[in-house]
Amino acid sequence: MKRLRKRIAWGLLAAVCLILFESGCRSGTTKDRSISGSAPEVTRTVTDDLGNQIRIPQKIERAVSLAPNLTEDVFAVGAGERLVGVTTYCDFPEEATKIQKVGDTLNPNIETIVALKPQIVLVSTASQLEAFSTTLADNGIAVYITNPKSLDDIFKDLTQLGDIFGTQNTAAKVVSDLTDRVASVTQTTVGTKPVRVFVQISKEPLFTIGKRSFLTEIVRRAGGGSVTENVETAYPNLSKETALALEPDVIILSDSPDNQEPNDAFKNSPAVKNGRIFRVNADLLSRPGPRLVNALEQIAADLKAVPTK
Amino acid sequence: MAALVFAAALGSERLSFFDLNEQQRSILFDIRLPRVLLGACVGASLAVAGAALQSLLRNPLAEPYLLGVSNGAALGTMLAFVFFTGFEFARPVFAFAGAVIATITVYRMAKSRAGMNVERLVLSGVIVTTFLSSIIVLLTSLLDAAKLRSFTFWLLGDLSQATKSGFYLTLAVVVIGTIALSSQARALNLMMIGERDAFDFGVEVNRVRIVVFGAAAALVGTAVAASGSVGYVGLIVPHLVRLAVGSDNRLVVPFSALAGATFVVLADTAARTLIAPRELPVGAITALIGAPLFIYLLRRN
Repeated sequence: MKRLRKRIAWGLLAAVCLILFESGCRSGTTKDRSISGSAPEVTRTVTDDLGNQIRIPQKIERAVSLAPNLTEDVFAVGAGERLVGVTTYCDFPEEATKIQKVGDTLNPNIETIVALKPQIVLVSTASQLEAFSTTLADNGIAVYITNPKSLDDIFKDLTQLGDIFGTQNTAAKVVSDLTDRVASVTQTTVGTKPVRVFVQISKEPLFTIGKRSFLTEIVRRAGGGSVTENVETAYPNLSKETALALEPDVIILSDSPDNQEPNDAFKNSPAVKNGRIFRVNADLLSRPGPRLVNALEQIAADLKAVPTK
Repeated sequence: MAALVFAAALGSERLSFFDLNEQQRSILFDIRLPRVLLGACVGASLAVAGAALQSLLRNPLAEPYLLGVSNGAALGTMLAFVFFTGFEFARPVFAFAGAVIATITVYRMAKSRAGMNVERLVLSGVIVTTFLSSIIVLLTSLLDAAKLRSFTFWLLGDLSQATKSGFYLTLAVVVIGTIALSSQARALNLMMIGERDAFDFGVEVNRVRIVVFGAAAALVGTAVAASGSVGYVGLIVPHLVRLAVGSDNRLVVPFSALAGATFVVLADTAARTLIAPRELPVGAITALIGAPLFIYLLRRN
């Protein structure tokens, strides 16, 4: 009994210490702030892809990215060294792997993020983190949400990130380079008869790209036409009967261990009969970031070799 | 039979049964028919297992899902999914093993010195089921994303991955299982009155239990390995059959097979066609129909 009481006492003491420590930290930061910004802190307002107005400090030194495409964006605009937290999926460029992990894209750890004291957290709508974003905002952390649905949206994101990090010149250079690369691909494909392409995201169950996927645009610009471009949603689970009837001339596989060959439904399709199966790195296809242009170039090169009837 | 023809006639691509070209033949025979037939086998398996378990345990709630059998099979399949991707028959074998282990565990937990108590059995079933689901959830969060997608889809009940060999295995098990359980139908009738009375009538109670549990584990194991968790079939189909033909197990067991097959085939036809050319998991449809139907049955009695 006595021991139990003693334990409870220690527990209470520990709890009190923690609370004191915590509040000490808080008052510390406010003090810091008042020293560094002798005037009230200068902030500015940016608008994210969802139209939310976000107040952020003039200069961003600490940022967290919650999506691999955004991590690539930030590195591309020359602000990679200011990322203090990324997800476990963020593996490009190599430097990104050395940054502290805050969980994966779908389950980031809120405590880790708050402890990193970021001035801004970059979120992609694809990660479905609406509730999570609210929690972050409640903790006084600015949340910037991106929603890229096309190459143009990606270029807009890069320009915006350049603004946020104050690296407008690098961002402008990156965007003009990417635009040039896209233009030189489109030059060779414009006016040609589109090759009928099926993009297989997963073999079993059969997932493909639909109307809302940015890959539908990529295929079109690369000189093809997605045979599933009229199917609703971005990544539909497609009926195999429909798949069989599509008879694509080319199948593009998103390169992952369980997606190494076309689904059996395609065994009599012209694509399989003529051996026109191409693999594209799954990361290039799944991340609406600067490397999507690499995917575009690769698909365009693959399709160029295909004779159009 | 009518349901089979109806299901074969409908799909995301329009076909007429006469005058098929090569592509349409391929759609019908390579994709649609294997799936429809597999759906029929899965439905029959689950419904027969449910009917026999309900009679054996004298509990209308007894069902492969409630007794942990399904989740045992699901966990087994999941392990095969992760560690033995290469072997085609790893999934049904592991699923059967999982179903047997879960059944034995539940049975052991329920058995006390005073003999078997049905309340204890259902309670242990619920506990084993929730324990197994927590392991499944744990494993799902440890698996990598690419494997996760096909697995979570399968977990919801998905017939789109039907293969011919998978179908032959399920067919063999459902035929043998249904015959085995029908052979115990008279004994089950007597056991529904009470195990002591059945014993007095010369029923070898323990042998009946072993046959029923074993057959149910095999039926559920192959069904789950082939199509994931198609819920509510084992629960509501036997109840509907009893409403129609009475509670004589000599009729209930075989009719449950037919009704279960029809139910799943029709549900899967809906899953294939409602949002064509996209697809829904069949488990979502059976649960969507099954749950309200069960509540209706509950209120009627």
